[in-house]
Amino acid sequence: MKAKVLDKKRKARDVSSDSESDDELGNGLFDGVLSASEDEEDYIPSDQIEEDDSESENDGTEGSDEDEEDDDALLSDDIPSDDEELSKLEELEITEPGVDPKPKEVEEDERNYRIDKDANGNDRYVYDEIDPVYDSDDSDAQGPVNTIGNIPLSFYDTYPHIGYDINGKKIMRPATGDALQSLLDTIEVPKGWTGLTDINTGNPLNLTDEELEIVRRVQMGLAPDDLIDPYPDTVEWFTSKEEKMPLSAAPEPKRRFLPSKNEAKQIMKLVRAIREGRILPYKPPEEREREAEEQEEVHFDLWQDEEPQAPNPMHIPAPKLPPPGYEMSYNPPEEYLPTQEEREEWEKTDPEERTKEFLPTKYTSLRKVPAWGELVKERFERCMDLYLAPRVRKNRLNIDPNSLLPKLPSPSELKPFPTVVQTIFRGHEGTVRSVAIDPTGVALATGGSDGTVRVWELLTGRQVWSVTLSSDEPVYTVRWRPTKDAFILSAAVGEDIFLMVPTHSSVTPALDQTSRDVLAAGFGYATNGQQAAIPAGKEPAGKWARPGTKLEDEGVLVRITVRSTVKVINWHRRGDHFSTTSPEGQRSSVAIHTLSKHLTQIPFRKLHGIAQAAAFHPSKPIFFVATMRTIRCYDLQKLELIKIVQPGAKWISSIDIHPGGDNLIVGSYDRRLLWHDLDLSNRPYKTMRFHPKAIRAVKYHKGGLPLFADASDDGTLQIFHGKVPNDQLENPTIVPVKQLKGHKVVNQVGVVDIDWHPREPWCVSAGADGTARLWM
Amino acid sequence: MAKIKKKGQSGQAKNYITRTQAVKKLQLSLPDFRKLCIWKGIYPREPRNRKKVSKSATASTTFYYTKDIQYLQHEPLLQKFREQKTLEKKISRALGRGDVSDAARLERNAARPDQTGKPRYTLNHVVRERYPTFIDAVRDLDDCLSMLFLFANLPSTSSVPAKMIARCERLCLEFQHYLITSHSLRKSFLSIKGIYYQANIMGEDVLWLVPYKFNQRVVGDIDFRIMGTFIEFYMTMLSFVNYRLYTSIGLKYPPKFDQTKDEQGAELAAISIEGMNIATDGETKAITNGEEQQIDPKVQAQVNKLVKQLKDEANGEKPDEEMAEGDEEEEEKPTDALDKFEPAAPGGDVLLQPSYSGNDPSKLFSNFTFFLSRETPRQSLEFILRAFGCKRIGWDSVLGEGAFTTDESDPSITHQIFDRPVVQAAMDEAEGDGEDNQTSRKLGPSQRYPGRIYVQPQWVWDSVNDEELKSPELYAPGAALPPHLSPFVKPTQGQYDPTIPLEEQQTEGEALDAEIEDATEGQGEEDSEVENDMDVASDNDDEEDEDEEDGPEEEEEEEEEEEEDAALERQHELEAEIAGKTLKSKKVDPKTKAKLDQKKALERKKKEEEEDLERAKGMLSKKKRKLFEQMQYTNNKKSAEDMKLKAKRRKLEKEKAAKKA
Repeated sequence: MKAKVLDKKRKARDVSSDSESDDELGNGLFDGVLSASEDEEDYIPSDQIEEDDSESENDGTEGSDEDEEDDDALLSDDIPSDDEELSKLEELEITEPGVDPKPKEVEEDERNYRIDKDANGNDRYVYDEIDPVYDSDDSDAQGPVNTIGNIPLSFYDTYPHIGYDINGKKIMRPATGDALQSLLDTIEVPKGWTGLTDINTGNPLNLTDEELEIVRRVQMGLAPDDLIDPYPDTVEWFTSKEEKMPLSAAPEPKRRFLPSKNEAKQIMKLVRAIREGRILPYKPPEEREREAEEQEEVHFDLWQDEEPQAPNPMHIPAPKLPPPGYEMSYNPPEEYLPTQEEREEWEKTDPEERTKEFLPTKYTSLRKVPAWGELVKERFERCMDLYLAPRVRKNRLNIDPNSLLPKLPSPSELKPFPTVVQTIFRGHEGTVRSVAIDPTGVALATGGSDGTVRVWELLTGRQVWSVTLSSDEPVYTVRWRPTKDAFILSAAVGEDIFLMVPTHSSVTPALDQTSRDVLAAGFGYATNGQQAAIPAGKEPAGKWARPGTKLEDEGVLVRITVRSTVKVINWHRRGDHFSTTSPEGQRSSVAIHTLSKHLTQIPFRKLHGIAQAAAFHPSKPIFFVATMRTIRCYDLQKLELIKIVQPGAKWISSIDIHPGGDNLIVGSYDRRLLWHDLDLSNRPYKTMRFHPKAIRAVKYHKGGLPLFADASDDGTLQIFHGKVPNDQLENPTIVPVKQLKGHKVVNQVGVVDIDWHPREPWCVSAGADGTARLWM
Repeated sequence: MAKIKKKGQSGQAKNYITRTQAVKKLQLSLPDFRKLCIWKGIYPREPRNRKKVSKSATASTTFYYTKDIQYLQHEPLLQKFREQKTLEKKISRALGRGDVSDAARLERNAARPDQTGKPRYTLNHVVRERYPTFIDAVRDLDDCLSMLFLFANLPSTSSVPAKMIARCERLCLEFQHYLITSHSLRKSFLSIKGIYYQANIMGEDVLWLVPYKFNQRVVGDIDFRIMGTFIEFYMTMLSFVNYRLYTSIGLKYPPKFDQTKDEQGAELAAISIEGMNIATDGETKAITNGEEQQIDPKVQAQVNKLVKQLKDEANGEKPDEEMAEGDEEEEEKPTDALDKFEPAAPGGDVLLQPSYSGNDPSKLFSNFTFFLSRETPRQSLEFILRAFGCKRIGWDSVLGEGAFTTDESDPSITHQIFDRPVVQAAMDEAEGDGEDNQTSRKLGPSQRYPGRIYVQPQWVWDSVNDEELKSPELYAPGAALPPHLSPFVKPTQGQYDPTIPLEEQQTEGEALDAEIEDATEGQGEEDSEVENDMDVASDNDDEEDEDEEDGPEEEEEEEEEEEEDAALERQHELEAEIAGKTLKSKKVDPKTKAKLDQKKALERKKKEEEEDLERAKGMLSKKKRKLFEQMQYTNNKKSAEDMKLKAKRRKLEKEKAAKKA
């Protein structure tokens, strides 16, 4: 590179040195070059190309400068104007000595500047022009260069100068020849004439032959430099000739001639995937979807090989919805349409509580029928039912309910039985507590809450006798002594039991006397001291005494005082014993009294439950005690418990023993009437519910008729036909025959007691309404 | 010593399983379990004793049979559910990672029945399991059809995709086509909820409800996912049932479905049925709209021969008749044209006398050509008419595609279904008599064509239900229609039946009551001057009322009462004599008196009966008594309703009579 620079410099020096003298020469040289350029270049050896290039470059660049200078020189030479000539000469003169005197100047005063005053009056150093001499390093210093920039030269047409040089000095317009000269110029076209004007100098722009050649090549579309060969010879990098000898002696590998197993495997994989449909040709999603749809709708006979199977016994098919009825019609019969009230009521009720989800409506024509708004909801509910509702199989009895009823014989076949009220016995104030018909069937005794005992003529209802036993306590019960040889009535008031002989038309003096004797006999016994000695300090179970003269005059002859209030009296059939029951009496609640001995005994040391009633067996020495829930049967001879009958009632009110002795009826406060067959079971043979209220009393007919009755708080009596067959194997037949209504209910108490006539099918009832009634 | 039994180890405790336990056992989510239960037909059970079954205190626990749940454990669908679950997990995981494209890919592959309406699974095996035989499936078709017909009429929403609706619709149409070709539709009923249809398929009665063609209102909280689950199953079921039904009558399934026609609202006509043997008849048979009436008898005979064992005998006779019928019609046409000049021509009369003879309901309408006015429900009418043998049904072009003719003036039309209010002018015309249609030539706003019968739609339904052509006069346009009665009510003894006159079904007592009422009322109107009579009557009533209250002395009192009555009467007579009047009015009603006596006797008898009943009831055991009372309660309720109806009817009849008078 260094060499190159040096070379350049040398050349520049050459050029500059030759600047003036070489004008002619240079042109001549160029001519030669132009004429013989091709030939010369052709002969340039390839080695020198580079050098040539660099040279040509240099030629190109510096050439132009030279040209300018040449032109100037030419112009100055050919058509020298005076001024210019002079100035040039001056310049030359200045410059020429300038080279030489420089060292002189430096030596002289070593100052190459002047001191001026600037605008402020300060010193200003104005340096002299440096004249770049041949040896100077400044390669840029050239001839005057127009600095007007890229503007048309025509702007300066009116001026004598054509621009300014670097120092701001005017570049004067080169002198133009006169018309003749220019004409001559046109005729003698100088070498390299282009007819153009150099913008920088204002001189006509002439081009060298080399430059013209370059222009021509460019115009031809060729490479500007003819040194580039567009068609070089091919260099064979790879020979096209076949080598006879192999490069390697290795044998040919198998893979060259055997198909690859691995590839085959891969291919087979793909093939299989295609066959199996795992790889599918691409399809747009819509098409794929449609195809999938079509594929999905497979149609075949699902039940081709159907076999009827027995349905799973546990499976309950969903019940079908009921078919629509008449009222659902769009045009129902008129009577199905709701009335105004019904409509209002329907609208008022909550939608969930409505029995029907729609109101029958009439539309006069089909086109007026609207959509049913609830349909989707209904369907949805059905769906919910289908999967969410527990299914239970319910056996619906589709039978006539009457077929459940037992076939009862007509009551008319079972006559006689009491049907209507015959006599009403009025007189008691308050409840009539107890009624009893005497064994002869003539007189009726009643005891009431007013503390009186009255005796009536049964058929006429005339009161024949009455006695007030107590002013404050009610007569709980009255009972006749069951034998006909005497006419003795017993009544219980509070803790006292009175035995009396009422006066009655049927009572003859003889009968009266025997009765009195029967009652009085015991006193003798007592006075005779036969009575068992009572342990000292212990209260006797019952005190037998005379009730006092006033009562004795009335016919009340004996008073027995026991420990607690007596509610029930029950006579033994022979008339010598009777039992009393006092529910509050606890240990001594049941007492047995012996009339002939005026003796009172308490048979049970301890009792299970509260005694409600007691009764003697009609023929056997058996004693029944009813507690609240059970009935205990005691053998009086062996003094032991025989059996416990369990009616299942919660609270027994009364019991009665069938005259045959094998059957027993129980009335209970829990509204049930129970028939027990003692031989059969401890449990009731039949339970009957006829009353909506408690049953107070039950009674068999004792005179041979198959009748029994109960009395209830609902104010009715129910008469039954209850036939006990003689044959042990047959069951008793029980038929309700009549319900007797008549008593009024007072304070929720209806009929309190009942008694049968000893022979006739008549019965007497005592009611809370203060009456006793005879039914026949 | 025997092994001690522990509580909850055997018996009921083992037989039942709660829902929570079941879900846990199957490792499913609750919605999936629900789906599975719906498809497999597993439903909860009510244990006999809840306490023995579970220790929990909640009363609302649902129990399933353990065996049922065990059976579900082997269900192949379970696997599908689990796959779905894992897929959803994958998607959610991908989304959690922010890997949307992955999630989208997974989503694309997912089977989303609720979105696309197309699950990747099939329920074929479930249908087969639930209905081991075809007849089982037919038996259980009620709910299926009702649901599908409802969904076919639903608007498509996000929860009910349009595809599902389209499929429902198509299945329904296919089913209807089967009913039409097999003539198995039996009855139909226009209710306020929709139209009920009853068909007899293989001896099984199938009843379903089709809503009226309106936009269905969706009210309340309705879970369409549950409904959708049902629908999925029902669609599968009905498609198999349809296949079987079609093949059983020698038809090809699926029938050709014409999408374009369907879009034009052709409904039934969008489907064309083909025979099974494509070799013999490539032509599509079905939408029998007259044009295809004139089938080549040879071809028809061939077809018949081929499918004879499957088809009804009736079909064999068809072609001849049809041909004959076609001829008739051709003859008719010219006569119709002549009619215009000769109103007395017998054209209309011939049509009035239907050639329908015998009791083949499938030919009820076979000789007629119907035209449906545009206000009539086309779909239901078309279906029902076709099912009962009608071949040519035309309608207004507004009602959709597929009509035999859309030209109202077509001369071959014999009947026009007409549901418009009658304009007064037209009314006046029509008032003359039945045949005035022919005579009137005016074509007003409600124009009538001569020679055809105009009836309201109900005529079709009533004719179908009674299997005979009803008299069209009753159903003429503008006429007050006779009540439309449900054909599904089976008359039972003692129940009120609106078709029977009132006199035949009222009890003696009721009749007497009514008559007495009538008589007293009549009298009241006749001579209001004599108020004594009314007083007596009212007195009587009062006393009777009292009687009922205090029972025991009733009989006596009654007797007394009668005596009193007699005494009163005598007194009245005396008074009248004194006043110089004749006691005519009193004597006018010996009839009423007799009736009153009769009534009294009846009441007495009734009382006795009641007593007897009471006696017998007391003898019943507690259990039986309860049962008896229950039964009586329901019976009484029913009879009370009947009584109400009867009373209403009596009133109405009386009003009517009064109006007439």
